[in-house]
Amino acid sequence: MIYIGAEEIWSPLGQNCNGNFQAVAENRSGISLFPQAGFNGETLPLARITALPEKEKFGNLVERTLQNTIDKIDSAIVSSDRTIVIISSTKGDLDTDIRDPFGPAVATLLAKFSLAHEPLIVSNACISGVLAINAGRQLIASGFYDHAIVVGCDVVSNFVLYGFQSLFAVSAEACMPFDAARNGVTLGEGCASVVLSRDKSIYHDSPLVLYAGTSANDANHISGPSRTGEGLFRSVKKTLESNGISAGEIDFISAHGTATVFNDEMESIAFDRLGLNNVPLNSLKGYFGHTLGAAGVIETAISMQMMRKDLLVKSLGYQQSGTSKSLNMITDNRPAPLKVILKTASGFGGCNASLVFRTL
Amino acid sequence: MSFVTAYCHIDENLCSLNGEVLLRKNEETGETWFKQIYKALAIEYPKFYKMDLISQAGFLGSELIKKVNPLSAYADDEVALLFGNKQSSADTDIRFQESYLEKKTPSPSLFVYTLPNIVLGEIAIRNKWYGENMFVVLPKFTPEFFVRYSTILMQSGAEAVLGGWLSILEGKVEVFMFLIEKAGENGKSLNELLLTDYAGL
Repeated sequence: MIYIGAEEIWSPLGQNCNGNFQAVAENRSGISLFPQAGFNGETLPLARITALPEKEKFGNLVERTLQNTIDKIDSAIVSSDRTIVIISSTKGDLDTDIRDPFGPAVATLLAKFSLAHEPLIVSNACISGVLAINAGRQLIASGFYDHAIVVGCDVVSNFVLYGFQSLFAVSAEACMPFDAARNGVTLGEGCASVVLSRDKSIYHDSPLVLYAGTSANDANHISGPSRTGEGLFRSVKKTLESNGISAGEIDFISAHGTATVFNDEMESIAFDRLGLNNVPLNSLKGYFGHTLGAAGVIETAISMQMMRKDLLVKSLGYQQSGTSKSLNMITDNRPAPLKVILKTASGFGGCNASLVFRTL
Repeated sequence: MSFVTAYCHIDENLCSLNGEVLLRKNEETGETWFKQIYKALAIEYPKFYKMDLISQAGFLGSELIKKVNPLSAYADDEVALLFGNKQSSADTDIRFQESYLEKKTPSPSLFVYTLPNIVLGEIAIRNKWYGENMFVVLPKFTPEFFVRYSTILMQSGAEAVLGGWLSILEGKVEVFMFLIEKAGENGKSLNELLLTDYAGL
């Protein structure tokens, strides 16, 4: 059995896991308006961390979040020869060195935490976080390591914001995942980490159980989601079947839900094909914005907290159904026993990934 | 047990398959080096011209390997893709940054290539492959990682792994791609030494 625990988050909503979950449980959003943010000087909604300096924010966030997570486990684990650190990120510290966006931050981590191995960086668009957790589990299950610390981080940059603007994919208001009026993403920045291990005793608080996850490509388009949801459908199907889990056992889906018209529609089609329409579902983008390579880890960490607290959290920004296939959107917080949770992600390059975890 | 059944290299001047030089850059033609390779492969795939250099390189490498093994015997989700490099999509990132800093118009056609995993999507689209995908960033080509993770992929449903090192930055090209299969009459048994030897990086 492989465990997942010691979740931590740094975001505009808070500087530790408790602060972040409290904000989410109160349905507070980390998104606010920033004047002159856009390429043409537009005021745009963003989920930005204003408590830290801009310079080297990426490395700073990774270090702080990793430290918070390490405080929740046996302190010898981080520098153990049996531990791998995996970082999920799309752009790293692009603003400091566009030619080497990860090198400096990785060098600092190696020295500061006396890591035994070079961290592995998973850079696979918006599925990076889910993929990194899945990869960590696989590396433990195959016996190469006993523990994996997964840290997901991305920061807001003009580079990414102008890019999404050039694709007409940025919402003028805070994003509205799965809503009829949704009209694009709101970018966010943040960092989250989780610890995977074959040893339950390393965690100060009880961990959860992580199943083997999978990925699948759409083989359709590099920047447009599949109209049939094929890759997401295949990934979730593989993840459930390979673990012997039926659709009826899933208590909650933490969807990707970027709030672009085509992505959310694609997800609804995939979930419909999977017979998952009735499973309570949310997107957490209305709280954190789209944090790209961090999103999968942030959203897994919040979902873990939901499971620990047996609380379904409202899908912020959603009011009226806006997909061709119906979904069981969570419109208000409500208590519910959560035993099995499915987390999904989809991204540019046609990539899709899914993971499942359950109570101990 | 798994086997390396084909591999190829592309650098600034040479393109080779299983260690045999296939093509040398012709300085006279005025065509880009990657376009020369594309033409030599004699395939019809106009999307090639839209791709950035990492995607072109991965596409060309996969087509080179398919000359040895067309990979048509596999189901559409049985070929996993596993790639890495040191500088992510920096080559295209620099060009996209120029588009908004210097040309004052952020280019959407460049932006969509500013992620290193886009090449996996291009190869998946070309071949209609729905298998596992992962792109990693490492300080240098690390045979240990590629052997381990290929083995993991083959133990969890993949029948073959097409992978490699796609390092392209400001004119410097270092491409090494390999095919790993479970059955390999013409291949050698996968291990770190073999991959190190084949890579030559």
